[in-house]
Amino acid sequence: MMGELILRNLLHRPMRTLIGAMGIAVEVALVVLIVGLTSGLLSETAKRIEGIGADIMLQPPGSSYMLAFSSAPMPVKIGDKLAELKYVQSVAPVLFQFNTSGVEIVYGIDQESFRAVSGGFVFIQGHDLEDPDDILVDDIAAKTKKVQPGETYRIFDHDWHVAGIVEHGKGSRLFVPLATLQELVGARDKASIFFVKCTRPEHTEDVMQDMRHVLPGYTVRPLKDYLSLMTSTNIPGLEAFINAMIMLAITIGLLVIFLTMYTTVIERTRDIGVLKSLGANHWFVVRALLSESAALCLLGVGAGVGLSYAVRAGFLWKFPTLSILITSGWVLRAAGIALLGALLGASYPAWMASRKDAVEALSYD
Amino acid sequence: MEIAATIREPAEGLIFQGKKSVEPILKTENLWKLYRAGKVEVPALCGVNFEVLPGESVAVMGPSGCGKSSLLYVIGGLAQASRGKVLVDGNDLASLSDGARTKLRRHKIGFVFQRFNLLPTLTAKGNIAIAQFIHGDGFDPHRFDVVTQMLGLAGRLQHKPSELSGGEQQRVAIARAIINEPKILLADEPTGNLDSKNSEIVLQMLRQLNKDLGQTIVMITHNPEATTYFDRVVHMRDGIIVDGVPAD
Repeated sequence: MMGELILRNLLHRPMRTLIGAMGIAVEVALVVLIVGLTSGLLSETAKRIEGIGADIMLQPPGSSYMLAFSSAPMPVKIGDKLAELKYVQSVAPVLFQFNTSGVEIVYGIDQESFRAVSGGFVFIQGHDLEDPDDILVDDIAAKTKKVQPGETYRIFDHDWHVAGIVEHGKGSRLFVPLATLQELVGARDKASIFFVKCTRPEHTEDVMQDMRHVLPGYTVRPLKDYLSLMTSTNIPGLEAFINAMIMLAITIGLLVIFLTMYTTVIERTRDIGVLKSLGANHWFVVRALLSESAALCLLGVGAGVGLSYAVRAGFLWKFPTLSILITSGWVLRAAGIALLGALLGASYPAWMASRKDAVEALSYD
Repeated sequence: MEIAATIREPAEGLIFQGKKSVEPILKTENLWKLYRAGKVEVPALCGVNFEVLPGESVAVMGPSGCGKSSLLYVIGGLAQASRGKVLVDGNDLASLSDGARTKLRRHKIGFVFQRFNLLPTLTAKGNIAIAQFIHGDGFDPHRFDVVTQMLGLAGRLQHKPSELSGGEQQRVAIARAIINEPKILLADEPTGNLDSKNSEIVLQMLRQLNKDLGQTIVMITHNPEATTYFDRVVHMRDGIIVDGVPAD
């Protein structure tokens, strides 16, 4: 009976129900997409870094997991020291440069050493870097930017010649010669990171110990753990940003539900009086309204999940390089957050309804 | 009557007006109800002494503002008395907590209002069933069928209040009020919003409930003709009962 009462009430004012549900849907989609976007970017970046095939990465002291946040580059000569270490097969210096116009990191690479560490690119079209102004573009970026080998591609106020299209998954989407990038950004003989390949993966720990001994204070990380380390909690400020977005989403949902249920209670004042005349107690009235709010919330959650997938599809269509990771865990968490917000938002109107004077309620017009 | 026997044994042999053989099911002693209007207390009931016996039907008449509805709300436990006693089936409402008064209302009182007060979102069936749901015994299909057939609602149960005539809505309201077999049915001008034909139908049904099922009824009315359907008529004026005589 309670179920029927709730269903009929929701259907009685379809527009209000729709608006209430959409408020919740926006809340859910906001949470799912914000988290999905950040975790998708982190995960995708981590996978690409792992895809390089190195065993160890060396960064300057105090460096972030987010490579774009890395601090001042190191002398390339450090690579020679690393190459001399026992069990080290090859070392690849890479200079990062963040391209703000495309929101991407460009890798300045030394072809030979990078090939030695990564096993080389898989070419879909074109050829390797041959000239100082050559650029390699991965297949996803090429599709997004609609570039072909032989065309000119402009970044950092420099015209690059697209030499080849390579398969994605080797760290970056754009690769240019190390020397050219060093000149362009004024970092001659510098590198942001060194990727180290060991003779055998089981020697990684030994090599890392040697690296820490030779270069004390430098950040030495095994790449096999990189994926697990790339979480929002390890990125400075990201956790706070996500929490702030979640709070904003909760506030939206809470206010929408509050307004919806508040107007519902005002409209149903007489009905509440009727329920009381039938012997309904405070708890019955509270339960009826909270259940209605929860049902509205469930509708909103369903719509929110659908909206999240629709927005993701839209984003991926428009920006194929983006990665938005929608996980069941976060969908459930977003649903829980929405439900909590809905119950909080409905609690005052429900309390207000339960305290209504039955006689006054019955004479309400 | 078969239907009546199914619900409750008819109350028989009750003698009113000073020849009581049983305890009153409803009794007020020096009942006062004051409403506050700003800093002024406005009396609605000024020491009402009133008794209703089990199975009795009583019509309460009086001019607007004389306290009829206040009396109904106080004896129904919807409003609290300012002073005095209200005994419903032996329970003193003044001594009961809000929760206990609600429970008593749920089990012993049925209300019928002038404006029907059906829940607009539910069907006729839903409006009756919700009373059973609140009562706590769940949906009783047998009792439901008996009541709805008796009130001639069998073919109108899937309709919403907006799809029913005034008379039908009031019959649904009566069905909702009696579905849980309350000891007392309180009706606040139940024919006030009905035309004469539907008024008569509703009054006949109330009389049938009283005569066949022994349902105790207290009804407020402005309509002098309505009083002919009741055992006794009580007149109120300025918050007090001025007389109470058996109806012709």
